[in-house]
Amino acid sequence: MRPVFAFLLLALICACQAQSDFEEGDNDNDFAEFDDEFVGSNYYTEPAAKNAESNSAGEGAGGDSGSREEQVPPRKQPQVVDDDDDDGLVEEDDEFEHFQDEEEFEGYDGGDAKDPPIDEQAEPKLNIPNIPLHFRTHWDSYWMEMLMVAGLLAYFANFFAGKAKNARLAQLWFSTHKALLDENFALVGDDGKPENENPGLIKESESLYTLWCSGRTCCEGMLVELKMIKRQDLVSLVAGLMRPQLDQVHIKIELTRGLMDSFVFAVGTKKTITKVFKEYTDLSKFCSLVGKPEDRYNVPNGFAVLSEVPEATSAILETRIITALKKYQSYIDYLHISDQFSGPIQQEEGNTLKQLETKPVLLAGFNLPKHAEMETIKPLLLLIFYLMERLKTYRMSKEGKSKSDKNRQRVEEEFLKSTHAARAEAAAQRREDKRKQEKERILADEDPEKQRRWEAKEQKRQAKKNAPKMKRLAVKSL
Amino acid sequence: MNNHVDPRRKEKINRYRAPKNQGQGGGANEDMMPDYMNILGMIFSMCGLMMKLKWCAWFALYISFASSKASDDAKQVLSSFMLSVSAVVMSYLQNPAAMTPPWAS
Repeated sequence: MRPVFAFLLLALICACQAQSDFEEGDNDNDFAEFDDEFVGSNYYTEPAAKNAESNSAGEGAGGDSGSREEQVPPRKQPQVVDDDDDDGLVEEDDEFEHFQDEEEFEGYDGGDAKDPPIDEQAEPKLNIPNIPLHFRTHWDSYWMEMLMVAGLLAYFANFFAGKAKNARLAQLWFSTHKALLDENFALVGDDGKPENENPGLIKESESLYTLWCSGRTCCEGMLVELKMIKRQDLVSLVAGLMRPQLDQVHIKIELTRGLMDSFVFAVGTKKTITKVFKEYTDLSKFCSLVGKPEDRYNVPNGFAVLSEVPEATSAILETRIITALKKYQSYIDYLHISDQFSGPIQQEEGNTLKQLETKPVLLAGFNLPKHAEMETIKPLLLLIFYLMERLKTYRMSKEGKSKSDKNRQRVEEEFLKSTHAARAEAAAQRREDKRKQEKERILADEDPEKQRRWEAKEQKRQAKKNAPKMKRLAVKSL
Repeated sequence: MNNHVDPRRKEKINRYRAPKNQGQGGGANEDMMPDYMNILGMIFSMCGLMMKLKWCAWFALYISFASSKASDDAKQVLSSFMLSVSAVVMSYLQNPAAMTPPWAS
């Protein structure tokens, strides 16, 4: 609808424009006589006077200036009335009659000047009237337009260059990690079509490439998203100068159900953790931010930890993981392990009656090295596989399990409580609709006997509805 | 960190399903951005067309280019592009004079 609306708007504007031009034309015609009498005469007085002066100067020399003046017809040059509209090019033959009229100008002696000749050979001076700015072919004056077009060209050039660079980086990542992925997954690269036509990276946009891997123990599949800087977009690049961005790789592994114990945990840079803490349902509902994680879990400075069960957190953040975190601190953005992952918090109220489906996942975000040294971050993929194996083998103690169960129960109760009113309302609405439908059907039947029977039934139902309450009251009172 | 057992399982292969608008974490702002850009482009185009302001028409053209990368709606992109181009063309048809920068006038 929107494009159609835009075109209609455009058509309307063009029509308005044409109408306004037409009206302006009319106005011009209405005042044409004024143009001739006033505007024209006022405007041309100066050049005409100059002409007269020069003629008198030149003709004075000749002596027979009067006759010469008459021989030389007045120059008919297109004159432009430089009004505000810039669209009035007035060209009329009769307009220049007044040049031949000697009484038209004050102080003009009609060529019978008696001044002595100055130079016999002097030609009458040519007058160059003021022509409008846009009739001069001075391309210099179009520097703003050139700047604009140059800007557009730069945008296009950057688009192709940025696109090529992003594609090259993504391909480099894939070729570096391909051997490792092949060792771990039976299927590497899937485009989702019945016959896997082009296994490998899928280009979602100029700055987003995805790779699907599947066929491994512990997991259903792994989705790798290579989120590049939007190099193809000049505006984003300029915005990136203010707020530097990095090429990132986001890994999402769907774990096999029942593989991991139930807990939620995340570790990463403070900035990212603060962001995801607010953004994701599971983190905001189950986790709390750990104070002083450097002392407690020995994570590197600048990292934050979100933990649900402390026992599980310390089991995940064991020595090898901590060593890896410290070694690759600049490349690790976040690690997120959850058995209750349901995506970002939903803002809409429509889906609140049903609890969102949750699944166990392992998410990770890494920064790509600045100088395309992909080998540097290869061990990070190994870290992910190690974490997966660790989740498979790790089992919480009884206390930990009961704590996490309690948390899940609490969240479910909270959800049911928050939606209780809405659910009751929906059920009442459904019942009411059903009754209305039935009533309409009976009334449409046009059988008075049937209607009477239905009314009696309805009354009975109402009575029955009220009756149990009374009975219960009676029982209670006893 | 090395696995000695082959972890690959052919029977566990799941085919790729394109996510249904998932994974775009909390993108309320991201989603609204192209719309705002389009409205801005339209306003500039209108100013260029109605008020004969050339720099407005040029701005509209730039905005339509910038928003084309963010928006998925091809029709929307095309209409905004056409509107801005027509604003530029119309303003130069009406007055082919060079654009004067605002500080010069």
